[in-house]
Amino acid sequence: MNIMTTRGRDERAGQTMRLGARVKPAGVWVVVLGLLAVLLPRGGVASEAMHLPKQNWPFVGVFGQFDNAALKRGVQVTVQVCMACHSLKYIKFDRLRQFGFTEQEVKAFAESQGRTKKDAMLSGMDPVLAKDSFGVVPPDLSLITKARKGYEDYVFGILTGYASESDVALARQVMADGHAADGEVREVAATLHLDPNHPEKIAETLKRIADGGNFNKYFPGHFLAMPQPLMDGAVVYADGTENSKVQMARDVVTFLAWAAEPTQTERKALGFNVLLYLVVFTLMLYALKRRIWARVH
Amino acid sequence: MSKIMEWVDARLPVTALLKSQATEYPTPKNLNYWWNFGSLALFVLIIMIASGLFLAMHYKADANQSFDVVEHIMRDVHFGWLLRYLHANGASFFFVVVYIHILRGMYYGSYRKPREILWWFGVTLFLIMMGTAFMGYVLPWGQMSYWGAAVITNLMSAIPLIGEDLVVWIWGGFAVGDPTLNRFFALHFLLPLVIFGLAILHLWALHAVHSNNPVGIDLDEEKDCIPFHPYYTIKDLYGMGVFLIVFCAVVFFVPNLFLEPDNYIPANPMQTPAHIVPEWYFLPFYAILRSIDFLGPFSKLAGVVAMIGAIAILFILPFLDRSPVRCFRYRPLSRQLFWIFVVDCFLLGWVGYNPADAVTLDGALPLTVVGRTGTAIYFGYFVLLWVITAFDIEKHSPVPKSI
Repeated sequence: MNIMTTRGRDERAGQTMRLGARVKPAGVWVVVLGLLAVLLPRGGVASEAMHLPKQNWPFVGVFGQFDNAALKRGVQVTVQVCMACHSLKYIKFDRLRQFGFTEQEVKAFAESQGRTKKDAMLSGMDPVLAKDSFGVVPPDLSLITKARKGYEDYVFGILTGYASESDVALARQVMADGHAADGEVREVAATLHLDPNHPEKIAETLKRIADGGNFNKYFPGHFLAMPQPLMDGAVVYADGTENSKVQMARDVVTFLAWAAEPTQTERKALGFNVLLYLVVFTLMLYALKRRIWARVH
Repeated sequence: MSKIMEWVDARLPVTALLKSQATEYPTPKNLNYWWNFGSLALFVLIIMIASGLFLAMHYKADANQSFDVVEHIMRDVHFGWLLRYLHANGASFFFVVVYIHILRGMYYGSYRKPREILWWFGVTLFLIMMGTAFMGYVLPWGQMSYWGAAVITNLMSAIPLIGEDLVVWIWGGFAVGDPTLNRFFALHFLLPLVIFGLAILHLWALHAVHSNNPVGIDLDEEKDCIPFHPYYTIKDLYGMGVFLIVFCAVVFFVPNLFLEPDNYIPANPMQTPAHIVPEWYFLPFYAILRSIDFLGPFSKLAGVVAMIGAIAILFILPFLDRSPVRCFRYRPLSRQLFWIFVVDCFLLGWVGYNPADAVTLDGALPLTVVGRTGTAIYFGYFVLLWVITAFDIEKHSPVPKSI
C-alpha cells in the first residue's frame, strides 16, 4: 500500500514537472500579453491632452493620512475661491468643524454663501446665472477627484495648467501680424506642450488664446469654460502658509479628495485590521489543511 | 440532539443526504487548486446576495434620486461604503472566479461526456450572471450606467422587423429613463435568486456524475476517491481565505480599481461621454460585437449575432470536441489552441477597452483589424478543436490508467 502510494506520488510529480515544462512557454505568452494589454493603451491610443504629471499625495495609499492643516487650508481656498461658482452638495458646512474650525468660523463660511451652518455647501451663485455667464453649469465638486481620469493629479493639473500671462503675451505677440512664423510657432509649442508637427493647429490654438480663450495644458481639447481660478496670493491663509498657486492647488485638492469620500480614513484603518486577521486566519487554515491532507499523501 | 435528528430523519432524511452528498461524498483525491473555483463562485454569490440585500434596503430606483442615494449609502449609512464596495468589487471578482472556473473546465475537458448537462447549466448560469451584472451596473445611474445601458439595449434594434419596437418595450419609453431603471432594479433583485436556484441544479448535475479530475479519466471510487469532508472542506476554506485576502485588499485599499471615473458623474442624457466602455468583464465580447463592421447595413445585426454566438458556442462545445481523451495535458495540439485562446481573450479585452477608431503601433495598425483577427481566433478555437479531433489529426500522448 505504501509502495503504491509512493509510486503514485512520483508519477504525479513527474506529470506535474512535464506539465510545467510544457505550459511554461504558454504561461510566458499570457504574461507578455497581459503586460501588453496594460501597457499598450497608453502608447497605442493618441489622446488630446498631455500626460498628467504624477503628484505625491500623502493621503493616497494604504497608510496614507490626511494632514489636518492642509485640509483646513483647502477648506479656506474652496470656500473663498471655488464656491464662488461650484457647490459641494454632499458636505454640510457644520461638518468642517471636525478639522478644528470653531463654530464661528464655520458660520462665517456658510454666511459667505448666504447659507446657515446646517446647510449643504452650496454655492451662492445661481445655476441659471452661471449657465448664462459660462455656458455650462459649474459641476459639483463633491466627487470631482473620483470622477476624472487621473483623479487628484487631474484636478491639480487643471488648477495649475493654465497658460501663464507670459504665454498669453507671447500668443498675442505671435498673432499680432495675423500669421505665425515657423520659428515662433516652435517656440510657443514647446512652452505650451503642443504637438509641433501640426503648425496650423497651433496657430488656431494661439488665436483662441489671444482672443481670451481659457487654455489649459491638461484639459482634453485644451479650452474650457472656467477661467483660471487660482493666482498667486488669491487667498490669505489663516495659518500664514505661503499662498502660491501651487500651494493652494495642493491644499484644495487635499480637501476635495477628503470630500469625495469622507469615510476613506475609516476604510483604510478597518482594512488594515481585516487583512491582518485574514492573513493569520488563512495561515492557520493552511496549516490545518496540510495536517489533514497528510493522511492522503 | 440525536433524538431530535432521529425524529427529523424519520420524516425527512437530512442526515442521510448530508452523508451521501456532503461529508462522505466521494471526491477525487488528485484535484488541484483550480478545482477550488467552483466553491469560490458559490461563496462570492453568497457575498453578493447578502451585501445586495442590505444595499437594497437603502437604495431607491429613481432617475432623480439614485445617484444621490448611492452617495448617501457611501457617506451616511453605517458601513454603507463597505456594503457598496463589497458589492461593486464582488461583481468583478465573481467574473474573475467564474472565468477561471470555465477555463479550468475547458482545459481538463470537464464538459465532456457524461458532464454535458452539468456544463449547460454552467453556461446558462454565466449568461444570466452577465445579464444581472449589466443591470446592476445601471443602478448607480452614473454616466457609464446610463450610456452603457443605452448602447447595449440599443443592440436589440438590430433584430429584423421587431427590433425597434422591442427596444421601446425594454426601455418603457423612447429612451433609457426612469422606467428602465425601475425594471432593471426589479430584475437585478430577482435574477440572483434564479442564479442561486440554477447553482443548486448545477450542483445536482455535478453530484449525479461526480467531479472530473486533472487526469481526466474515470476513477475507481474505492481507490482514488476520498470523502469530501474533511479533505475538501478544509481545502475550500483555505482557498476562501486566500480569495478574501485579495478581495479585501481591493475593497479596502483600491476600491475604485475596476470602476470607471465617469460613473461618478450623474447620468446626463444630453451629454454623451467621449468614450463609452462596458465593465472589464464584457470587454472581449464588446470587441467581438464591434469587430463586425464590414457588412454595411448588416454589420450591427451580424455583430450582435457574433457576440451572442461567442457565448452560445460554448453550449455545443461538448459535441465539437471529439477526442477520446478529456484532459488537454495529454493533447498537445488542443493545449496549444487553448493557450492561444486564453491569450486571444486578453487581446480582445484590450481591443474592447479602446475606442473603435483607435490605431496602434504608431498608426500602422487600426484596432479594428486586431479586433477582427481576435474574433477569428476566438471562433477559430472551436472550429479547429473540432477539426483536429474529428479527423484524428491530433495524436494524444499516453494517458495514465489510474492516478
